[in-house]
Amino acid sequence: MKMEDIVNDLMATLGLDNLQTMLGIPDDEQVIHLPAAQLLTAVEKLLELGVWHLSAITCLQEKCFILLYHFWCFGNLTLRVEVAEGTPCIRSVSALIPGAEYYEREIREMYGIEFEGLTNPSSLFLPDNWHAGYPMRTTDEQNAVAGENERKNGMQGGTS
Amino acid sequence: MNKVVVPIGPQHPLLKEPMSFLISLEGEQVVDSVLRLGYVHRGIEKLAQQRTYIQNVYLIERICGICSHIHTTTYCQAVETLLGLEVPKRGLYIRTLLCELERIHSHLLWLGVLSKNIGLDTIFMYAWRDREIVLNLMEEISGGRVSHAVNVIGGVRVDLDAMHIATLQNGLAELNDRVEELTRSIEHDRSFAARTRGIGKLTLEDVKRFCVVGPVARASGLNIDLRRDAPYGAYRDFEMEVPIMDQGDVWARSMVRMYETVQAIRLSRRIVEALPEGAVSVKAPRKVPQGEIVSRAEAPRGEVFYYVRSDGTQVPARLKVRTPTLTNLITLSKQLKDVQMADVSSVIAGVDLCIACADR
Repeated sequence: MKMEDIVNDLMATLGLDNLQTMLGIPDDEQVIHLPAAQLLTAVEKLLELGVWHLSAITCLQEKCFILLYHFWCFGNLTLRVEVAEGTPCIRSVSALIPGAEYYEREIREMYGIEFEGLTNPSSLFLPDNWHAGYPMRTTDEQNAVAGENERKNGMQGGTS
Repeated sequence: MNKVVVPIGPQHPLLKEPMSFLISLEGEQVVDSVLRLGYVHRGIEKLAQQRTYIQNVYLIERICGICSHIHTTTYCQAVETLLGLEVPKRGLYIRTLLCELERIHSHLLWLGVLSKNIGLDTIFMYAWRDREIVLNLMEEISGGRVSHAVNVIGGVRVDLDAMHIATLQNGLAELNDRVEELTRSIEHDRSFAARTRGIGKLTLEDVKRFCVVGPVARASGLNIDLRRDAPYGAYRDFEMEVPIMDQGDVWARSMVRMYETVQAIRLSRRIVEALPEGAVSVKAPRKVPQGEIVSRAEAPRGEVFYYVRSDGTQVPARLKVRTPTLTNLITLSKQLKDVQMADVSSVIAGVDLCIACADR
């Protein structure tokens, strides 16, 4: 099945109409915007259509957090999901795609986004005694607040 | 039976780079393993957002000490596309040639590490002796053995003259004979097979579920290779066969890498023979127009992924790097389950980990 047909099928199933194109090498990437509530349904549908390879999850911080799920399966496709700031939280896709676990754990550590259903949310990269907030967040103020919350709540990763 | 937990790393003779495994044993059998990274985390994604696009070429090259060139290739082709630049064909050929030389270097280095880990010191010494040939060739072209600084935004900074081409042809011919002999040796070596066959198995279903890439995926029967499936650079001009095996164990991974090495030598020779005339680079502006781009390339360990977002300035707004080791690492716990403690070294080396890449 061609990626173009997969995109059309996915958008029709989920009732989506926001499709954009992003530059890509060697081919341009189709970007589907979807609400966070529909993420798991979309991933389930993609797996059903034979798109199994999640290349990466990119987190961006703009007015809110944006997660880009980059799929590749002899064609490129990105799912774009917005996550509200404050106490950012989204459903984990690692139950459907176990390979997503490290991507989600990294974003959790670096940006402070919680992934609901992530089986192992312990630190992967940062030290156990890290108390300086979320390193990839853009504002110092947020970093300081997050660091303070972590110290108060003891949210640092376990020994694993 | 009581469990015994054996810590391996962050500093351990088995590991060439720092990472940590906590391996739980019942008797001699591994029942669980917990992995921890971050000991060489340098915050490169964060640093890249504070440097210009040009400075980032040299920063990104330092993500990895083995496959440094593929990182700059993936990054430069992304920035070049954002800038709308067309890299001259000669530049693309030289860039791709370095990618293949780097693959040969990486695979021979891995063969040495695996052989050393399983006690086959003779193969280790032969592999690293022969690796010197390709390191010398890369030094001849670029001036550096592992950090080549060949890529620039807009092409490459080095050109090949007649003397370079003669040296490359002689060196690659010699290397071809050596690697073919090494491949034959380990294909039929009973000691090598005894330490690698049936160890660290991953099925085709496993590699799909865990998004595994590169030789580890191809050794489990997954027929993917971006050089063929989504060609970039000079790969568009060359047809290639992708070695696939379906046993999914350390032996199959070893064979896939050896066949790939032979193929990389042949491809390098074809690139040198077909090297077009002309310039090797074009001048690139410092400011990159607003936009975002995804760039993928086939590193020695599999798909490397870059996402670059530009806000129209000289500094990227976001640079995301996903290296093949990060995806392949996630399968280690599954591969280690139920193996004997003595085979842990074989399984770890079989994945061909690059921790500096995974940490960034």
